[in-house]
Amino acid sequence: MMSPAVLTRRAAPVLACIGLLAVWQIASLALKNDSFPTAVEAVRAIPDILGDKESLTNILDSLRRMAIGFGVAVLVSIPLGLLMGRSRTVAAFFNPLLMVIYPVPKAALMPIIMLWLGVGDVTKTLVIFLGVSLPVIYHSFEGAKAVEEKMLWSGAAMGLSPAQRLVRIVLPAALPEILTGCRTGLVLALITMITSEMIARQSGAGNILFNALDMGQYDTVFAMIIIVGAMGICLDAIFERIRARLVRWSEPQFDMPLSFS
Amino acid sequence: MTSQEPASAIIEIDRVSQVFQTSARKDHLALSDISLTIEEGAFVSILGPSGCGKSTLLYIVGGFVNPTSGAAKMKGRAITGPGPDRGPVFQEFALFPWKTVLGNVMYGPRQQGVRTAEAEAQGRALIEMVGLKGFENFYPKELSGGMKQRVALARTLAYHPEVLLMDEPFGALDAHTRTRLQNDLLNIWERDRKTVLFVTHSVDEAVFLSDKVVMMSKSPGRIRQVIDIDLPRPRRRNELLLDPRYQKYVVNIERMFDESDEAGAPT
Ligand SMILES: Nc1ncnc2c1ncn2[C@@H]1O[C@H](COP(=O)(O)OP(=O)(O)O)[C@@H](O)[C@H]1O
Ligand SMILES: [Mg+2]
Repeated sequence: MMSPAVLTRRAAPVLACIGLLAVWQIASLALKNDSFPTAVEAVRAIPDILGDKESLTNILDSLRRMAIGFGVAVLVSIPLGLLMGRSRTVAAFFNPLLMVIYPVPKAALMPIIMLWLGVGDVTKTLVIFLGVSLPVIYHSFEGAKAVEEKMLWSGAAMGLSPAQRLVRIVLPAALPEILTGCRTGLVLALITMITSEMIARQSGAGNILFNALDMGQYDTVFAMIIIVGAMGICLDAIFERIRARLVRWSEPQFDMPLSFS
Repeated sequence: MTSQEPASAIIEIDRVSQVFQTSARKDHLALSDISLTIEEGAFVSILGPSGCGKSTLLYIVGGFVNPTSGAAKMKGRAITGPGPDRGPVFQEFALFPWKTVLGNVMYGPRQQGVRTAEAEAQGRALIEMVGLKGFENFYPKELSGGMKQRVALARTLAYHPEVLLMDEPFGALDAHTRTRLQNDLLNIWERDRKTVLFVTHSVDEAVFLSDKVVMMSKSPGRIRQVIDIDLPRPRRRNELLLDPRYQKYVVNIERMFDESDEAGAPT
């Protein structure tokens, strides 16, 4: 049996979605604007898109680029961030570099990258890679810096080499922080994915969306927004599940009571 | 100074000094010309006020900190870094929070290539010895401070260091838990008589546990006096507290700290 509290927590996102769609429906009916279809119309357009082979290929292309960009970014950024957190030399070298890259919107780099690498997969994947890297590096860096010195000393006394300490102590100890960075990175991957396809139109979910906009197919536009949004929500939910399982050992044991009375 | 030439010195500290650069860019002499010999199997306490360099001295023996000058030796070999022959137990516990109690205790032996089954069997026995049977699968965050320190002790004992380096291990615990852990530590120690270097700022604790108390003073950190504690073992707390010899040691040491300078009195 689920307790009422658990039931409420499970049902809350569903209720939020229904509420949002209801508000949309009412607003659309009230405004009676051609470019603002009702929620029902938009939802009805979803099966058409997903049933269409070309659209589906486009969406899968997007997801593939996103997966590669995210995966490579995580594989590169975690070791780099951890090294930066534990070595002043490495940090001194990369910090200035990252400080320059950090505030630049990665999509703004796209024209240059397109010029060099074309409008294909490589360019778009690279932009996703850049978007994901920074939060993951930053959180890995902060996580590694915060690792208690005495924990590393304990490991050293057991005979762990510096490399072993990095992999077997710093990495697990910083994991909660690293995964927070990865979660931010995942959402950024989705954002940069759509943005990149908006700039270099050729394939992908962003391409369908903006083509439909050009052709005035507003129910398709809104259906795509729902699809992309749902993708984001699902990916985040799956990731959060994995994250929670991996760092169960670090979660607080007690909820903060809202009142002690 | 009572210093007999030891037949079997395990640790020799030879004119060690440690200078720290403070943030005001001034040199701070944390340890000044420390020489000390620790015999194999002895329980030696380093006693002194906060800030006199007790931890620093222990870190130097552990190989975690290199002294500015002088040298520390273990069994005649210069200490150049940490090693499994010297096992630290820190006031901050420093457990691996992503590992269970058993995982923490098995960590050292596994690192040293002991087979999993064997490491687990020994780990379980150690956990029982430190009084935590039933908590094998708990994570550190699910334990009280006293329990964490028991795990930390078991984790270090698990890889059989020749010397235990304990830095105010019971300093963060309440009085009751501290007393219980002192008793348990003594019981464990009286069984296998490992060499212990034990840092504390508590006179009672030092006298109760030790064969030898090294009194330090502050600014700069120096050894004031080394006192042999000639009390019978096994020591029982309830007997010892009533023993006039024990009381005399405590009173004398406290008086010596009081006489030196008002800043130097340990609590
Ligand atoms: N890493 C460090 N940098 C600068 N000063 C330090 C450092 N470690 C210790 N000190 C200073 O050295 C002195 C001795 O410290 P410590 O060994 O921790 O003393 P104790 O353990 O006896 O309290 C203190 O004055 C402390 O401020
Ligand atoms: Mg200290």
